Amino acid sequence: MAYLSMGESHRRITEFLNRFSDAVSYQNGVSFKSLFALSSNSHFLLSLADALSLFNDANRLINQNENFSQFADIIVPLFRSLQHYKQTNFVEAYNAFEKTANAFVQEFRNWESAWALEALFVIVYEIRVLAEKADRQLASNGKSPEKLKGAGSLLMKVFGILAGKGAKRVGALYVTCQLFKIYFKLGTVHLCRSVIRSIETARIFDFEEFPKRDKVTYMYYTGRLEVFNENFPSADYKLSYALKHCNPQHEANIRMILKYLIPVKLSIGILPNHGLLEKYNLLEYGNIVQALKRGDPRLLRCALQDHEDWFLRSGVYLVLEKIELQVYQRLVKKIYIIQKQRDPARAHQVKLEVIVKALKWLDIDMDVDEVECIMAILIYKNLVKGYFAHKSKVAVLSKQDPFPKLNGKPVNS
Amino acid sequence: MATEAKAVTEDVKIDLFEDDDEFEEFEINEKWDDKEEGKEVTQQWEDDWDDDDVSDDFSVQLRRELESTTEKN
Repeated sequence: MAYLSMGESHRRITEFLNRFSDAVSYQNGVSFKSLFALSSNSHFLLSLADALSLFNDANRLINQNENFSQFADIIVPLFRSLQHYKQTNFVEAYNAFEKTANAFVQEFRNWESAWALEALFVIVYEIRVLAEKADRQLASNGKSPEKLKGAGSLLMKVFGILAGKGAKRVGALYVTCQLFKIYFKLGTVHLCRSVIRSIETARIFDFEEFPKRDKVTYMYYTGRLEVFNENFPSADYKLSYALKHCNPQHEANIRMILKYLIPVKLSIGILPNHGLLEKYNLLEYGNIVQALKRGDPRLLRCALQDHEDWFLRSGVYLVLEKIELQVYQRLVKKIYIIQKQRDPARAHQVKLEVIVKALKWLDIDMDVDEVECIMAILIYKNLVKGYFAHKSKVAVLSKQDPFPKLNGKPVNS
Repeated sequence: MATEAKAVTEDVKIDLFEDDDEFEEFEINEKWDDKEEGKEVTQQWEDDWDDDDVSDDFSVQLRRELESTTEKN
């Protein structure tokens, strides 16, 4: 490592301070934002951290010049945060950065134009990422992790500041998305509700005005929430929007969207091509799709079991489990078609016994009463049109459209 | 005792703050072409799979099973 002199340290610190004050004077957002990007590990900031550790008296430099001292509340904790960050003291780094963020927000309110919006985004991002690192460190030391939760509160405050009539309001969706990431990580997704309500119902916001990248991220997270709440038509709309407008180069993000969209599509009777599953490495859904196509409840059960953990972790297990009804519909339909080919006159009468035998062939042990139950549910949910003659244990199917298609709507709940 | 405590905090660490599917950040000024947008990926769905075709392997085997049943009757 090269020897660092006092003179060089002094030079680096002064360079930062000059960049800071120039950025504000000329409202240079691009230069300004680079001053806060701790986790970018830029050479500029890392070498500044070394200089600060050696020089030790940066506060004097700040206070002796009016151009710098007016921003002392922002810069002093930022320097401290940077040093802690370099030494991987993430808790202290976060605490200091939080002070910087609060002071920045105060100044930001006074700047009329939105010139510093990107710097604000960087700060918002760094707050989240530093909080995550801090909490991991706290947890590994047996302490209670609370920084990410605090970061959430801070970001809510920032959101409030952007929720006004000026040009700054286009930044609100970015902050919203960072909040989503925090809440999803903390498992406190119910907290998303209030920001969503603000974005979607407040008259100050026009959704179309927001940048595309934020709209895509927003639709992804709100789409996931709709899946969680089993609002499938809404989930379909939002996740499809995200899919359609996502940068196709971002394969990882496309895969994530598909991971949640596929179960939704299955629930409304639409299947992904196998090529899609292959391309985005989502073959966990392969046998589920096959089970639906075939009408094979055994294959569905195997598929659910094989990837149970994966489905559970993403929260789609229950959605996929419910597809069983559609699989039964398909099986009964196949039995009906096979019978019709042999004896068209009596095809619409399906003996429950036949279904029992078919299921037994699939290693599914059910008696006639259980099959009657399933048929009752299929009829109730309008997956089968007909009735059954209970005494003779026969399902009498409607001669017209006995197996109504879902047509893009979820099964009646 | 020490190893026990460590094991507990390891568990806590793993359970904490997990979202396997955190969307990756787009660059602040990232823009992409409207034309480029996921056209291909949005066209990879089938809604006409629920047909009356029973010539696939599964259906053929099902038919065989059902016919063997009626023969027994």
